[in-house]
Amino acid sequence: MIDSNNLESRIVEIYNLYYLDVYRFLVCFTGSQNDAEDLTQEVFIRVLKGLSNFNGNYNLKTWIFSIAKHVAIDHYRKKKFASLFKDSFFNQFLSNEKKPDEEFEEVELKRFIHEAIAKLKPNYRAVVILRGINEFSINETSEILQCSAAKVKVDYHRALKELKRKLNIEIEGVLTNAK
Amino acid sequence: MQNEKDLFDMLKEMYPQHPRKEFVPATENTLRQRARGMGKKRIFTKISVISSSVLVCAFIFSWLISLNGSGTVSKVAHSDGGASSSYAMDEKEPVVYIYQSHNSESFFPELPEQQGYRDQPPYSDSKNITLVGKELSRALKEMQINSIHDETDIAGVLKSRGLNFQDSYKVSRENLQKVLAENDGIRMVFDIHRDSIKRQDSTIEIKGQDYARIKFVVSKTSGNYETNKTFATQLHEQLEELYPGLSVGVIEKGINPQNTYNQELHDNSVLLEVGGIDNTLEEMYRSMDVFAQVLKVIIEKSK
Repeated sequence: MIDSNNLESRIVEIYNLYYLDVYRFLVCFTGSQNDAEDLTQEVFIRVLKGLSNFNGNYNLKTWIFSIAKHVAIDHYRKKKFASLFKDSFFNQFLSNEKKPDEEFEEVELKRFIHEAIAKLKPNYRAVVILRGINEFSINETSEILQCSAAKVKVDYHRALKELKRKLNIEIEGVLTNAK
Repeated sequence: MQNEKDLFDMLKEMYPQHPRKEFVPATENTLRQRARGMGKKRIFTKISVISSSVLVCAFIFSWLISLNGSGTVSKVAHSDGGASSSYAMDEKEPVVYIYQSHNSESFFPELPEQQGYRDQPPYSDSKNITLVGKELSRALKEMQINSIHDETDIAGVLKSRGLNFQDSYKVSRENLQKVLAENDGIRMVFDIHRDSIKRQDSTIEIKGQDYARIKFVVSKTSGNYETNKTFATQLHEQLEELYPGLSVGVIEKGINPQNTYNQELHDNSVLLEVGGIDNTLEEMYRSMDVFAQVLKVIIEKSK
């Protein structure tokens, strides 16, 4: 039985330990500080609700991240329509402008990476961020995503390949535009 | 860009790597409030469960009386009388004072929800070192030795007064001073702690049973250092005689960070570090039962 005082200090402790990791996952996933903050709060509210039923045999951090992944994907589904429309709408104008300028290239490159990540399937996106940014091991990632380690390996490999392919195409695009 | 590491480094740089400053405490606050809200709900259901069970009990009780008539009532009265007479018999002056400056120190095996969460030592508001002090007090009472067990929730007091963990000894000192002023008969003072060491260092098997080992800690900076140390050594030697290996020995501390552990307030004052983060309450209790025997021998010797 957890009493309220204990629950309060537990959730505060857990929050302080993990909020930054969770936030970083979410900021890469959503590409927006605002969204990442809202979702981070959502994640820890869900953690609080689940804490009294949390099974001690399970790793706390991977459990929190499995919640974060669900929250991120729910958010993705909600925003899907709006963001697809917005992005392509702006892209039409942006890509026609020509500024042969190094600074511009840098900005463009970032925008391309952002878009390449955003265009990945949400499951691929989660794998790439968990492995690449949060630096979880294959086993931890499979625990978070609740799939086999083999699937994590394959998905990660494919996701990276796709990401690089998209980036190469787009980077070439920038360079030819710049000439 | 072929290199994955470059890609990830770039990704990390792309987005703000920290939330806004005001976000962190604001969310912490939200979580606190939610946790409190959940606690209230729980307490409410607890109260309703308790009150309904009291009602049921009252009903059954009255039903029994009406069935059995005066027979049940006289039995109840009899057992009442027995309890009060045994209480009167034990009313002697207390000779031992037991307290826990870090009262919320707890144990992983007793907190299943913290199992997967070993990067910090366990603390609990309920299943904590206070229970170990209580067991010592109970074991002493069984041997007709009276003690005062301070059950103050020091961690709670710190929180409500906005003090730090380091101030624990200042808070525990208040009641200690009060009790010493009011009770001339106190002959020993023990501040019981849970050590933060791992199982292999904190446990010993004696005759097939696991015991939490005991360390006697003496502050080098207290004005009573010499007398405290003599007393601690006496405890250690007596314990070695009864249960060899259970005592880790007398440890001298308190220089850095400087702390007297309130030991200047009494000649026979020792800080006990019992067991570690991986011990069960049962193992702790066992050691306390043995330690009570040690105290009995020492008290009888000095009579």
